[in-house]
Amino acid sequence: MTTFLPQYPFPPNPVLLFGLLLLAGVAGGELVKRALRLPRIVGYVLIGLLLGASGFNLLDPGLVGESWIFVEIALGLVLFELGRRLHFKWLRNDPWLLATGLLESALAFGFLYLTLAYFGVQPIYAAVAAAIGVSTSPAVVLLVAQELKAEGQVTERALNLTALNSVVAFVLTTMLLSWIHHEYRAGWTTVALHPVYLLGGSLALGFAASVVAIALSRWLGQRAERQFALLLALIVLTIGAARMLELSVLLALLALGVFSRNLDTRHDVMTVDLSGIGQIFYVVLFVVSGARLPLVELMLGGGLAVAYVTARFAGKLIGVMSLSHLSGVRPGAALMLGVALMPMSGLALAIVHGTTDLYPEFGARLAAIVLSAVLILELIGPVAVQFALKRAGEARDAA
Amino acid sequence: MSGNEQAFTPSKGLTVGVEVELQILNSRDYDLARDAADLIGLLEKTPHPGAVKPEITESMVELNSSIHAGHDTLLAELKAIRDTVVQAASRLNVRIAGGGSHPFHMWADRRIYPTERFRHLLALYGYLAKQFTIFGQHVHVGCPDGDVAIYLTHILSRYVPHFIALSASSPYQQGEDTSYASSRLNTVTAFPLSGQVPFVHSWKEFLEYFEKMRGYGIVESMKDFYWDIRPKPEYGTVEIRVFDTPLTVEHSAALAAYTQSLARYILTDRPFAPLRDVYTLYNYNRFQACRYGLDGKIVNAYTQRHVRLKEDILETLAVIAPHAAALGNGLALAKLAADVEAGRSGANRLREIFRERGSLNDVARVQSDMWMGATEPARAKEASRP
Repeated sequence: MTTFLPQYPFPPNPVLLFGLLLLAGVAGGELVKRALRLPRIVGYVLIGLLLGASGFNLLDPGLVGESWIFVEIALGLVLFELGRRLHFKWLRNDPWLLATGLLESALAFGFLYLTLAYFGVQPIYAAVAAAIGVSTSPAVVLLVAQELKAEGQVTERALNLTALNSVVAFVLTTMLLSWIHHEYRAGWTTVALHPVYLLGGSLALGFAASVVAIALSRWLGQRAERQFALLLALIVLTIGAARMLELSVLLALLALGVFSRNLDTRHDVMTVDLSGIGQIFYVVLFVVSGARLPLVELMLGGGLAVAYVTARFAGKLIGVMSLSHLSGVRPGAALMLGVALMPMSGLALAIVHGTTDLYPEFGARLAAIVLSAVLILELIGPVAVQFALKRAGEARDAA
Repeated sequence: MSGNEQAFTPSKGLTVGVEVELQILNSRDYDLARDAADLIGLLEKTPHPGAVKPEITESMVELNSSIHAGHDTLLAELKAIRDTVVQAASRLNVRIAGGGSHPFHMWADRRIYPTERFRHLLALYGYLAKQFTIFGQHVHVGCPDGDVAIYLTHILSRYVPHFIALSASSPYQQGEDTSYASSRLNTVTAFPLSGQVPFVHSWKEFLEYFEKMRGYGIVESMKDFYWDIRPKPEYGTVEIRVFDTPLTVEHSAALAAYTQSLARYILTDRPFAPLRDVYTLYNYNRFQACRYGLDGKIVNAYTQRHVRLKEDILETLAVIAPHAAALGNGLALAKLAADVEAGRSGANRLREIFRERGSLNDVARVQSDMWMGATEPARAKEASRP
């Protein structure tokens, strides 16, 4: 009789979910900021943990799955922004910066692999987990830098090194895919061609989108508000297309950012400020990341996680410290730069997520290794970046 | 300040040197960056002529030339310093620009360079200190003694509108077209110790004035006077401070050559006696130059006639031509005269760029391209030529 009334249990819808995640994040971030003077990100993650499977289970795995699209938009925005910061000309003018990026990536990978192998992790899991650990969380570095309004060499170099190590992490994990396929006895075409398709296809998609971005920007002219809408449209379109074509959303968006910056020889694409809209998605990103972390299980793997975090930090720190002085970084800044590369979060989760899709069993075992470390770094990573940027004197309120 | 500083260190008459304040831009959206300390740190490790020093906010650096007898060696040195600075900047991924103002930076975003003096200025002047993120060129002319310096200061005051119109390159401030050719000087005028030298006739009288101000505790040293032209006893020079930083080092050297040639004319021919009316009309004439640049109309205190700045400058260039030739500045001033004739100025150029490109970000970018020498490989070729 009362068919016009909603039926209990109410079916959730994505819009409602988005609003709730955002609201929870904003409240959690503000509480942490006010009570503990820590970066808001820590609050987003904590509220996620509280609402997620390890807490009140309001965000059960089903809902987390529903929210995946917001996470992808958030990561897409971050990687686009990060790609825009990767300036080939700088790498040419300061080749030691490129060398630093490659060395710290290599050392982090090496230290992680050896540490995991020492703890008896099977080579294939150790390799993939190490490859994931190469990447610094772009979202954390970018968001903390924006929150502090930080500017300067440590900030810029941290973002460029993050872009570089993200690329290295993508390439490594994608190449390791062949090994995983082989392990699961996939056909040789899959073993050989899947990584090629992923890397080549994602790069080509990003490239194509950047060509469109440059052409349309020229046509629109130098108006920030028009170009803002254009870029947002292309970002969302590229995310959708990458999903549709089973490509890497992350790599495609990074490529869009990099190419739209470095191929734009006539300076048609303006640097528009996406941080306003980005902020909204980043909050959701971190709440969902928090909700995905199964706290109790992770506590059990604590010993391995601490080893993982330590080995990774050592690799990055040694890599940065040993070459930074050659690239004109002031004394003391190299240490802060190394510390700023510590965070690990959404990006790592996304890569884990990517492999989980293909072989759930593999994904689950990989997650058990990586996620404990992510949990630790989700909480101390933002604090480390905040400390580093403030200590380097690059935060707005520091001067 | 030590007692020695009041004594006027004699310097070789009519030598010339410049200080040029420059903008440090990021290479993302070409807003002001704050890498002065890193840039200066990097330059300390690289041998180069002249000096590079910090300025009041972290978005500025100041280049100092050494002392020169004429235009050509000054320009050669400025180019050498520029190339070193550009190379260091490119390693830090920042850009260096000329021009009297940054077109769209927001003053509240600026941070004071961490030295005791600059922190003191922030405490004293409040927001004016951050608004002082404007970029000027100072030209020093050597004087044999204090009395000559005072005389030269008074006569050069009549030419202040020339200096402003010739260098004007700050049409944009805080993201808006100010309608001025040089909006920079409006910011200077807000300071309580800005203005002009008192109407004194000898170094002795000047020192009495200075001691009086110091006795009141208003100033500690000559540095505290933000006058348009001031004697600089420790260098033995007269310092002209009204120039906007030009868009290129070539123009920087040309302005120095104009000032030096004019000073030679003034000190050799002694064409006028100091006149109080120059100061009566001073602010009006200065405003005309700031507002309209070469098209400003000033009142000549000596002839009491209205004259367009463009004509007054061209006429002056003709008068001082023999002095320019004697100093080896003839060619540079001929080029300057051609620019004035054609109405070319930094402010006009920047407005043209805005019309062509449509965004102030691009104005700032082109501003930095121009100062850095646009295409670096082309310059490398030029440098290798004998």
